[in-house]
This record gives sequence, structure tokens and C-alpha cells, in this order.
Amino acid sequence: MKRRRRWNQGYFFIFPAFLVLGVMVLYPLIDTVVLSVTDENGSYIGSRNFVQMLTSRTTSLATYNSIYYVGGSIILELILGTVAGILLDRHFVGRGIVRSIMLIPWVVPGTVAATTWAWMYHFEFGIINYGLQSLHVISGPVGWLTSAELVKPSLIVVEVWKMFPFVALMVLAALQGIPASLYEAARIDGATFYHEVRYIMLPHLFGILASVSLLLLIWGLNGITIIYAMTGGGPANRSLILPIQIFKEGFESFDFNRAAALSLVLFIVLFAVIVIQVSISQKRHGAANE
Amino acid sequence: MSSRKFSLPTYLLALVFSVLAIFPFCWMALSSVKPLQELYSVPPTWLPQNFSFENYTNVLFSSNIPRYFLNSVVISFGATTISIFLAALAAYGFARFRFRGQGALQASILISQLLPTATVIVPLYIILGRLGLINTYAGVILVYLIHTLPLCTWMLIGYFRALPFEIEEAALVDGASRLLILFRIVLPLSVPGIISTVVYCFVSTWNEFIFALVFATDRTVKTLPIGLAEFTSEFNTDWGSVMAASMIMTLPIVVLFFGVQKLFVGGLTAGATKG
Repeated sequence: MKRRRRWNQGYFFIFPAFLVLGVMVLYPLIDTVVLSVTDENGSYIGSRNFVQMLTSRTTSLATYNSIYYVGGSIILELILGTVAGILLDRHFVGRGIVRSIMLIPWVVPGTVAATTWAWMYHFEFGIINYGLQSLHVISGPVGWLTSAELVKPSLIVVEVWKMFPFVALMVLAALQGIPASLYEAARIDGATFYHEVRYIMLPHLFGILASVSLLLLIWGLNGITIIYAMTGGGPANRSLILPIQIFKEGFESFDFNRAAALSLVLFIVLFAVIVIQVSISQKRHGAANE
Repeated sequence: MSSRKFSLPTYLLALVFSVLAIFPFCWMALSSVKPLQELYSVPPTWLPQNFSFENYTNVLFSSNIPRYFLNSVVISFGATTISIFLAALAAYGFARFRFRGQGALQASILISQLLPTATVIVPLYIILGRLGLINTYAGVILVYLIHTLPLCTWMLIGYFRALPFEIEEAALVDGASRLLILFRIVLPLSVPGIISTVVYCFVSTWNEFIFALVFATDRTVKTLPIGLAEFTSEFNTDWGSVMAASMIMTLPIVVLFFGVQKLFVGGLTAGATKG
């Protein structure tokens, strides 16, 4: 092949992009490690930042909140997204319009979703309190974003609303890859719609749902936008998740070193999860191929 | 794929999902054209009784939103243009050459996409501070490349690989340089792919929040998401203006997105269907 002779030109083409990524990603990563083991004057202090961060009550609360918020969101997003994806794969009049409409939450900017839902959750004038009172679900107005018990579920609703269309889109794409002959064969055998879902669709969706949940996990653990814009982590840290804590530690308390220590811990945990998930899915993939 | 007779559950479910998805958006649109005294009334009205554009005039003539809009446009255009240019080069390098370390380098592009944003914010702040780039367009654009460059490269590799090599080969025989081939043959041939990449890039920078919160704190560079969050977090929130500003921020994105929806969804899911 002609291409082999020109192997060195390949480096020339990828160099500018890697220069930018090296400066903007690799260097900051190394710097995070350095920051995490030094104090504000730059002298080495070993693991003190880590110990301080990991033993603080705020960190354990933020960890609990993160697991609650991200875990709850992912489960609901997967369920709703799969149902919606299967629905969008079926033939019905107006399917094109419904597909477009379902993309709206995903397209709407995160801050806009946050402000709109904050208005709908409004204590006095919010449509949600009004609607639920008219339906006699609640007897008086509820402070969705100010109650310690309700703030996390209320935020999960917004997150799920925003992200389930993405899951639906991925599920739809995977379903369209199923050959029609499979359904035809099943129908000859007298399969009902339930059988199709249970024995054709869901097994086929396993791989895509695994990678989608990994993406949702990463996005969720990065996702400051909705919570920060709606509650800022309040009331009394009840919706404080780890990335917001890192942000506050760094840019409200201006303790860059402790913020770096905490981000490093989060990075390592996330990296471990990615490695475990990828190796499990490869094993399953390998088993399926045998 | 099930092409069966009219099925009531399907239509009911489609209706429920559609209402769920579109209601907040509609409520935002309706609220944005209600005057304040109607907005703050109990019980709330569904449709505006006193239709008015006063919220929009408020936002357009007596707030910082127009300036933030301009900032957002400049930053999104800048980041998108630079990303596409650098990503086209890199993607061409990956798609058409074989070199040592290629697999690892290509994987590292994807991994940098998985990095938690919170991890790099602090050191980035220190670097940009040293370079004097905090609160400048250049600084925010540079930071946005972290997100957009890997993604654009990844998407473009797919599009370039799908092109037949024969046309380029003919040009090579005629003595054209690789760079010329990229800009005169490969890019024009992959216009649909480029458009969806551009849209994705533009939308993600337009919506970006965390980096903007840290690196654009001055009025002259603040972007719309930050401006909007500011509106809401103030003690006395003018919800009418907030809804109008939300509409102003959302409309360009919705128009852009649905203009190229077919292309975009196809491009994004092309990889998923192959797996």
C-alpha cells in the first residue's frame, strides 16, 4: 500500500490537536496530583489534604448525595428511555413528530431546564403545586426545592426529564439494527409483543444499555449545571454532590489544594468504575462470541 | 418493527411521553408572554389572558442579556471553528495513515472525553491565570476545546473512513499534497458529516455551564447560561424576564437542531447500530 511509506506524515496531521490536549488536559492532570500533596505555599505535606477531605462530614454527605442522585437518575433514565425507545420503534401515525418532540428536553440548554423547572416548582405560583392541589394529591403547597427530604427526588425528576431522550435515541438506534427476519420468525412461532420485547429486544439492548449507563454515570458525576442553578447544593447541603463540593472548595473557600485532593479521589473512583465496566462488558462480549 | 393494527396503548403512551417532554418547554413559552401580575396570580392561568411582550422588552433593553448573547455567539463560533479545523487535521491523520502508537493515541482522544470536568478546573484556572487569559474570549475558547476537540475528532474519523480512497489516490498520483487533498477533496465530500459535527459542537459550547462559571466571571465575557443562572439566584427573581431570557437562549439551538435533525441523529447513532 502506498500509505505505509508516508507513516510520518500522520504525526504531522495529529500534532496540533494533541498539542492542545496535552496542554489543556495532560498538564492539568499532573498539576492536580502536585497540588493535592502540597499546601498553599507549595511545600510537600503528604496525605494531609486527603485525610482532611476524606474525614470531613461534608464529604460523606456529598458522597451519599451523589450516589443517591446519580444512581436514582440512571435507573429511572434507563427504564423510561428503554420504554420510549421501544415505543418510537413501533409504527404509528405521527411517529416522526413524536420523535422530534421527545428530543426537546435533550436539546434545551441545562440552565434553561433548571430555570424552567424551578419556576414550575415555585412554592406560591408554581404550576406543579397548583396542579397537584387541584387533583387533591397534596393538601397545601409543597417546598419542592427547600425541603430536606424532597430536594433530591425533585432534582432527579429534572435530570431524568433532561436525559431520558438520549437513552431513547440510543435504544431506538440499536433496535433498528435488529433484522426484520427475527421478528418474522418469532411471529410464525406465535410470539406476542411481550415475547418480542422479552426475548428479542431486551437481549439485543444489553450492550448498548451498558455503555449508555457508563456515559450517564460520567455525565452525572460531572453534572453541576442543574443542581447548581436550582439549589446551589442547598438546603443545608442536602443536594450537595461531589463536583459542587470541589467547586465550592476551590472557588468559594479558595482552597485549591484540598479541592485538588478531592478531585483526584473522584477521578480515581470514576476511573476504576470505567475499567471494571469495560472489562465486564468485554468478558460478556467474548462469551457471547464463543 | 411491529407493524400491527391500530393499538390504543401505543397511542396513549406516545401521548403521555410527548406531553411529558414538551410541557416544560410550552410552560416556559407561555409564561414568557404573561405580564408579571398575571404570572404572580393564584390560581395560575393556563393561557395568557393579557398577552404582552413586556418581559422581552425588559430583557432586551434593560438587562445584560444582549451582551451575554453576543459573548455566547463569539465563544461558540470561535470554539467550533478552531475545533473543526484541528479535528479535521487529526481525523485525517488517523483515517488515512498508519503509524506507531496510533491505537493508543486514538484511544487517548476518547479517554480525555471521559475525564471529570471538576478534576481539571483548578489547574486550568492556575494556567490561564498565569497566561492572563481569565475573563477573555481566547481563554474560554481554549478551555472549551477540551470538550469539543476530542468529540469532533472522533466523529470526523468515522466520516473520513467511510469515504472511498480511490478519488484521493488519483489526486496523489497527479502530485497533489495531502493537505491539499484534505481541503479540496475530503472536506467537500464529507459536508453532511461536518454539518452534524458543527451543530453538536456549537450546541455543546452554547449550553456549557461549569467552565463558564469559573473562567468567565466578567460582564464582557459572561455567556448566556451564566447570565440566566444569575437572574434566578438573585433574591427577588423576576420570573417573567427569566422565562423570556430562557426562550431567547433556547430558540437558536432548537432551530439549529431541528434544521439538521435527520443528519444529526443519523451521524450520532451510526456507531451505535454497527455495534
